[in-house]
Amino acid sequence: MGLYIKLFSEIFRERELLYILAKRDISIRYKQTYLGIIWAIIRPVLTMLVFLFAFKNVAKINDISGFPIQLIIFSGVIFWNLFANTFQAVSNSILANHNLVSKVYFPRLIIAFSSIAVSLFDFIIGLIVYIILSLFLIQTLSFTLLLLPFAVLLLLFFSIGLGLLFCSFSIKYRDLLQMIPLIVQYGFFVSPIVYTAQSLQISNWFNVYALINPLVGIVEYARTILIPNYEVKSADFIYLSITTCIITFFVGIYVFTKKESSFVDYL
Amino acid sequence: MKIVEVNNITKKYNLNRLAEPVSIRNGLKTLFSKKEKPNEYYALNDVSFSINKGDKLGIIGNNGAGKSTLLKILSRITNPSSGNVKVSGKVASLLEVGTGFHPELSGRENIFLNGAILGMSKQEIKAQFDEIVDFAGPQISNFLDTPVKRYSSGMYVRLGFAISAHLNPEILIVDEVLAVGDADFQKKSLGKMKEVAANEKTILFVSHNLTAVSNLCNKTLHLEKGTVKQIGETSQVLKNYMSEVQSKNMYYEAESFASGIGNDLVRLKYAEIKPELAKDLDYWTVNDPFNLHFEFWNTLNDVDLNVSVHLYASTGECIFNIGNQPARFNEGIVSADIAIPGNFLNDGSYYLSIMVVKNSSIVLVNFEELFEFEIADYRENTTWYGKWPGYVRPNFPVKMKQVTSEI
Repeated sequence: MGLYIKLFSEIFRERELLYILAKRDISIRYKQTYLGIIWAIIRPVLTMLVFLFAFKNVAKINDISGFPIQLIIFSGVIFWNLFANTFQAVSNSILANHNLVSKVYFPRLIIAFSSIAVSLFDFIIGLIVYIILSLFLIQTLSFTLLLLPFAVLLLLFFSIGLGLLFCSFSIKYRDLLQMIPLIVQYGFFVSPIVYTAQSLQISNWFNVYALINPLVGIVEYARTILIPNYEVKSADFIYLSITTCIITFFVGIYVFTKKESSFVDYL
Repeated sequence: MKIVEVNNITKKYNLNRLAEPVSIRNGLKTLFSKKEKPNEYYALNDVSFSINKGDKLGIIGNNGAGKSTLLKILSRITNPSSGNVKVSGKVASLLEVGTGFHPELSGRENIFLNGAILGMSKQEIKAQFDEIVDFAGPQISNFLDTPVKRYSSGMYVRLGFAISAHLNPEILIVDEVLAVGDADFQKKSLGKMKEVAANEKTILFVSHNLTAVSNLCNKTLHLEKGTVKQIGETSQVLKNYMSEVQSKNMYYEAESFASGIGNDLVRLKYAEIKPELAKDLDYWTVNDPFNLHFEFWNTLNDVDLNVSVHLYASTGECIFNIGNQPARFNEGIVSADIAIPGNFLNDGSYYLSIMVVKNSSIVLVNFEELFEFEIADYRENTTWYGKWPGYVRPNFPVKMKQVTSEI
């Protein structure tokens, strides 16, 4: 515990650096693009349209568990993107900033933490689009929306924790870098992003699955917040996923701080 | 009061692994196979020293002596394999100018970014912003809102240094940053360093520029192959360092014709470079004239011979080629003497080659890179300690006088 208190107070002391690195990433993200920030809208919308086409026009499905397909998919996609982008950014953060790591000392976690800024920024844009979409399709908004930061935080815990683990080991074992795109590509389909967990929930391995892949619990939890009247059969699996998120976060930080002093020797 | 204490630090690298990042397969292989033969390289080996508050420590040594590794350990970028370092005070390390500059960001944004990376608070940067821009020069202030990727490399360096120069740590670690920029800017940078040095600040300064070291630092650490060769008063350490560097490779002698370098036509018997050192110095400076004397065995009878001496800078450019008019020689030993005046070559490392030529056109033998030598800088009555530019440094007279008394 002492380790974490020390780390977080160190990060708090260097918060200005954290802030300026985050600001750097956001401000260069859309430099020299014509559409700029609109790209943060285009990407999730396009993903949704593709699946909407597949579901409505090809598979002739008109709703998922009784809710508009658009809302199910879009809520899934923005959360998935938050996970995927955060995970990738954190995994690559040290390698992407090797010029800093090899020339200046400051707590290396700052680099990892600051790298999530862009994905969080894109998520907020996506969320705004979701709210507009929701108002347009079902004309209501749920008040539980205020609970959303909690779901976001849990997902960030998992994404950062997993990213830190990949980051710590990939500097020495670059093979791990090859795995990242695979996780991002196939994870999308094995998590309830373009479908709901309802259909899976009857199987007896479901709770174990929610423990292994916490996106199951977190995305479903987010939907109960985002979509009015959205319900899950039993909330147990959500608690299991939350447990995984928290454990992954602290394990990730622990491993990262144990490995950080050797990073520069392998860069 | 000891402000930096280095106790028995060793840094070893495993060259087998360092060659490339390990793949899992190789990682597993080494895990299960018999222990691979370690191919270890000691960048630093059992280095200990300490410095007091307010000391300015110069760190010198050849390439690969471990200077950069030492700085990296002192600035906490990497950990030593064994031993420990105690540093009491806020440290800022300048291992590079403009660390973390982002090409897409403007000069203004990069000042804040770089300042924060080097450990300045936003308030500190804001308070000194105008001074930084001012120090960087008028060119920068006109392009403050232009992305730095549009900057010339000179502007980039100037901006980077300007930020570093306004750091306010208790301990400053500097690596060769002064070796950048044009002479004018170097002068400014060294001036700033002197100003900083005048304060109670502690500085660790790695440099190849011995003149700068001797003028900025009261103590000097000489590293050699990862170990401390000598640490002490700057003048003493530099003197020993120079005379050691210069004593190498200044002399050649062959026992007999058969063992001399060369070929069956011509073999080198003897060669020597001898500087005429000033009385109070025991190392070779830019002021000193030097003689090249050599003798060779010639096997040809009744032949027109001349010699040709090429002098090269360490970077490979030929500085000059001295030849003489051919004359008739017979079998036996032939000698040659060349006197090169003082105040001619600039400070730096040089190497030379000697050719023996027949009939002004046929090279009989070329003794390539026969000697390597180093000439030290020497200045009096000056406040400027930057690297003197140029390969030669002739002392041609300049006549300067007041022409009128009004403007």
